[in-house]
Amino acid sequence: MIQLSGLEECKIMMEIMADLIPGGVLFGIIEGNTIIWTKASDSFAMDILHVGQKLENSTTTMKCIQEKRILKQLVPREVYGKRLKIISIPIIKDDGDSYGAISIAIPNLHPVAASFYDFAPILTEMFHEGACIYLTDLQKVAYSQTSKKLAVSFVENGQELNEMDVAYNVIKTRKPILAELDESKFGIPAFTANYPLYDTENKDEIVATMGIILPKQTAGKLRNMSKNLEDGLTNISSAIQQLAASATEIHSNEQALNSNIKDIISISEEIDEISVFIKEIAEETKLLGLNAAIEAARAGEAGRGFGVVADEIRKLSSESKSTVPKINKLTQNIKRQVEEASGKSSKSLDASQEQAAATEEITSSIEEITIMSNELGKIALVI
Amino acid sequence: MKSKLYIVFRLNEEEYGIEIAYAQEILRMPDHLTHLPNMPAYVEGVINIRGKVIPVIDLKKRFDLKTIEESTERRLIILNFNNTLLAVVIDDVSEIVNIEEDTIQNVNSIISQLGQNCLAGIGRIEQRLILLLDVLKLNTEIFAYQFEMEEIK
Repeated sequence: MIQLSGLEECKIMMEIMADLIPGGVLFGIIEGNTIIWTKASDSFAMDILHVGQKLENSTTTMKCIQEKRILKQLVPREVYGKRLKIISIPIIKDDGDSYGAISIAIPNLHPVAASFYDFAPILTEMFHEGACIYLTDLQKVAYSQTSKKLAVSFVENGQELNEMDVAYNVIKTRKPILAELDESKFGIPAFTANYPLYDTENKDEIVATMGIILPKQTAGKLRNMSKNLEDGLTNISSAIQQLAASATEIHSNEQALNSNIKDIISISEEIDEISVFIKEIAEETKLLGLNAAIEAARAGEAGRGFGVVADEIRKLSSESKSTVPKINKLTQNIKRQVEEASGKSSKSLDASQEQAAATEEITSSIEEITIMSNELGKIALVI
Repeated sequence: MKSKLYIVFRLNEEEYGIEIAYAQEILRMPDHLTHLPNMPAYVEGVINIRGKVIPVIDLKKRFDLKTIEESTERRLIILNFNNTLLAVVIDDVSEIVNIEEDTIQNVNSIISQLGQNCLAGIGRIEQRLILLLDVLKLNTEIFAYQFEMEEIK
């Protein structure tokens, strides 16, 4: 309590102290129910408590005067737009009656808000892709700081909160929220965290939220790349499987071809045997023809007709015999061609085996790459 | 115009002819011959044809021709002179041809000094020259060694 007699000294004190109190202060002297004197520090921007203004009986200050005791009042934001702490000290006349009160109004700023512009600029630059740190009151964004690394800021001072905002939901649920945001919110993927800030004195009252938005462009790209890589690998893998299947088919076809070729060789050998037989028959026929001719000659005139037949037989035999080298030539040709084909087919067989081996190697390489790509995807999720 | 049928055969690359009238039969070379001791080299031995034993003469050896290549088609021509049989070994019989007598060149008039020549003449068929053998002379010459058929048994 202050004695009325000491009021003038108090005024002097208040004049001096006004600009010494960080965050600003407003002093007022009330006589009865009327404000008769005020002193505000330069930084105290609020236009309240005017000289001549009369206080309602229901106010805390009036209660202080009536009850002659110091009262403290927390004025919620709704009243003046900013939270205030008002301390009322009764002034007592010499006879002990109430004279009035001294009111001290101090903006009730949360410590985080008070130091926001001290830490936020440093903090926003500490992240690889930059960051945006902001503070909201219960309705709107109050403070925000965006890293120089970012071309756009994600939040603006004064921006009203709506149910799409993380801060809105933090206030509503009274719980911190950490969330991954896709491109739909800010145009790039981002990570956001938002914490409720409680009143320093009333620990249950949420007065603000502090949030941070971290762009995750690199991680997003990484994730997309890993996804694309995986899709590509899946495609390659199925293509390789088809390739392996066709290589197996080629292999079995070549084996079949090889055995067919061997069959052809044995067939042409059989033809050769037959041609040897033809040759023998031709020679036998020739001998027969010659002997028939001899017989015809011995028979003289009577054997003339027989001689003609003998001659025909000899011609026939010589014709049959002349086919033998032709057949042999053909079978030689067949053998040569078939051997060439067989050589080529063997090479194809080797090549198809090599192909199968190479395909297996590729498949295992792809498996390794797939595993790495999965790792990449996991890393992209945590950074 | 008179003409005769000849059996044409080869000895090495040359073609020879024998009058068909002296021929009885052409046979494959048998796998086995019976060799005779103390005989000239050109006497290969004897064979048994349908119960008759016949001497076998290698004409190439007889004519001092070197065997260039052993023919796989060696044949025997069985010659018949008044029921005396003789087999000659030759390299493949080619054909039977009709040669007109006046196309035959007499060899004896060219090289008359050569005795014991079995050549009767040279016949021509287009570009081919056929050495025609005098079978009777050949026979006489060979049987000058006096085969005694009865002794060969």
